[in-house]
Amino acid sequence: MNRAAAPARAARRRAVPWDVVGLGLLVVAAAFMPDLLRALYDRAAVSYLSIAINALSLAILALSWDVLARTGQLSLAHAAFYGTGAYTTALMLRHLDLPMWLGIPAGGLMAVAFALLLGGLTLRLRAIYFAIATLAFAEVLKAVVHHAPTAFAGGNAGMNVAPLFRPVFVAGQMERWEVAYLRNEAYFYVYAGLLALSVLISIALQRSRLRHAFTAIRTNEDVAGVMGVRPARVKLLAFMLSASTVGMLGAVEAHRVGSVLPDQSFSVATTVLALVTPIFGGLYTTLGPIVGALGLSSVQELLRRTFSDGYLIGYGVVLVLTILFMPRGVVGTIGHAWRKRGSRSTGTPPASRPQRAGPAPDDAPPKPPSQPGGDA
Amino acid sequence: MSAILRATSLAKRFGGLAAVDDVSFAVERGEIFAIIGPNGAGKTTLLNLVSGLLLPTAGKVELDGRDLTGLSTAERCHLGLGRAFQVVQPFPEMTVRENVLVGAMFGKPGVGRGEAERRADDAIALVGLEGRAGDDAEDLTLMEEKRLEIARALATQPAVLLLDEVMAGLRPAEARDAVALVRRLRDEGLTIVFIEHVMPVVRDLADRVLVMDYGKVLTEGRYAEVTQDQRVIEAYLGRDDEGATA
Repeated sequence: MNRAAAPARAARRRAVPWDVVGLGLLVVAAAFMPDLLRALYDRAAVSYLSIAINALSLAILALSWDVLARTGQLSLAHAAFYGTGAYTTALMLRHLDLPMWLGIPAGGLMAVAFALLLGGLTLRLRAIYFAIATLAFAEVLKAVVHHAPTAFAGGNAGMNVAPLFRPVFVAGQMERWEVAYLRNEAYFYVYAGLLALSVLISIALQRSRLRHAFTAIRTNEDVAGVMGVRPARVKLLAFMLSASTVGMLGAVEAHRVGSVLPDQSFSVATTVLALVTPIFGGLYTTLGPIVGALGLSSVQELLRRTFSDGYLIGYGVVLVLTILFMPRGVVGTIGHAWRKRGSRSTGTPPASRPQRAGPAPDDAPPKPPSQPGGDA
Repeated sequence: MSAILRATSLAKRFGGLAAVDDVSFAVERGEIFAIIGPNGAGKTTLLNLVSGLLLPTAGKVELDGRDLTGLSTAERCHLGLGRAFQVVQPFPEMTVRENVLVGAMFGKPGVGRGEAERRADDAIALVGLEGRAGDDAEDLTLMEEKRLEIARALATQPAVLLLDEVMAGLRPAEARDAVALVRRLRDEGLTIVFIEHVMPVVRDLADRVLVMDYGKVLTEGRYAEVTQDQRVIEAYLGRDDEGATA
């Protein structure tokens, strides 16, 4: 009976494509979100949309970081890719007479080009050495932007970046706040689209054979190589995919914020958020970084509203406690508890049931408990 | 008949230590070739040079007449070199089947998904792990881990299989199973190079035996010949426990 168990379980796992369903739900939810907020909160919807945009931005950043982390590489270069995207679109606006929207894909491509360069040089380094090299790269890039001729890249003062959307106030037909609402609504859809693209990349990777290559390289690069996986190539691909969405994010944010500045666009804070969020939410999954971003954004917002001063201390405490007591992250911990409950209720002997002690499950969403009798 | 695996004057120095020193050997197609020697003789280092985990200080390895110098571990795997490790190293976060699938999907370029799954299931069946396919690799017993180690290597469809002490730590009955398994693999057309400490296993399996000591080749020949060699006896008598098993 045990021999039949594995294929049966695999078939059931394939039965509901939770990842695709989740992406569909995300898209539908995003489509209705601005109108819903407006119906519920009227003019307060403007600030709620801003909060939602920040959460989406964090989710894109976190998911991008996680894609590379699945190969076991810890990037401290995400601020560099973010800043590259931001400066690419700003420089194009300033020096080239091209449609503004081109700056977004161009920002992504430029980040990919830097990832190719940096990855080609450093991905043979492992873990901590790679991390140090990427951090150094980010700092060097920031310094280069700082010291580039002011006429070219703005130097210390940075550059202004035109907004993507300029809703016009029409007297008599709308209220003042509606201009801000329309602007935020438009940006919200851009961010949601970029997150959908990030999720699509992540799902495609998780469903492809590359997922196994990623896990193999992460757990034992030497053995992976002996089994025919080409670690250098696979890691470079992950790095480039990771950089692409962050580069686009940096470009979009430059337009939304209205300016680029060396210290702001290449801020170490971006790098820190990129790695803290998936660790908080649950590593090596599609869902984890998204849950992490929504969770951390909510915690931060609640704290900010409760204690306007020093709320960051509380935020730090929440982070430290989570990482101490939930090392698998939110999604990993819930998924683990769920599986344990499932195995108790079906009463299957532990020998035939997966019990993971690793940091997180590898599938996108936590798997539902097996049906009773399914293993018989 | 030309050799399928040939090492010529292989050497590896770690600082002042010559772990492998001017080692040459040739393995014929379909042969079971044993590498023995006291602990620290350089056997595992030699296998690492062959599979590309270490770069030799001097010398070269050829597979089926093709020089492997400068090729990565993955490229050597694609050309037909399979490897099972002495210290079993399954990917702990994967199931048994997923572990084997890695070898099946990446062991040869351009293997389709369905074909890879077939190869993985065949390899799992060959080592008798069907009942554990869906379980996490970290829940296996030592014997099962060793079977998994072999199944993963087999799934890469090797022409030459390098086995590093797969019998170590097995009970006699389990070792007999493992010996039968290796014979079956040879009957399926594989060439097998294995490192082994358990002398009865070497006696039962090996067509030829290479004896190493202090990184050098002490002698090479049939089991009965090399075990009569005075130098081999001395090398082993230097170590009590090894002498006892011999």
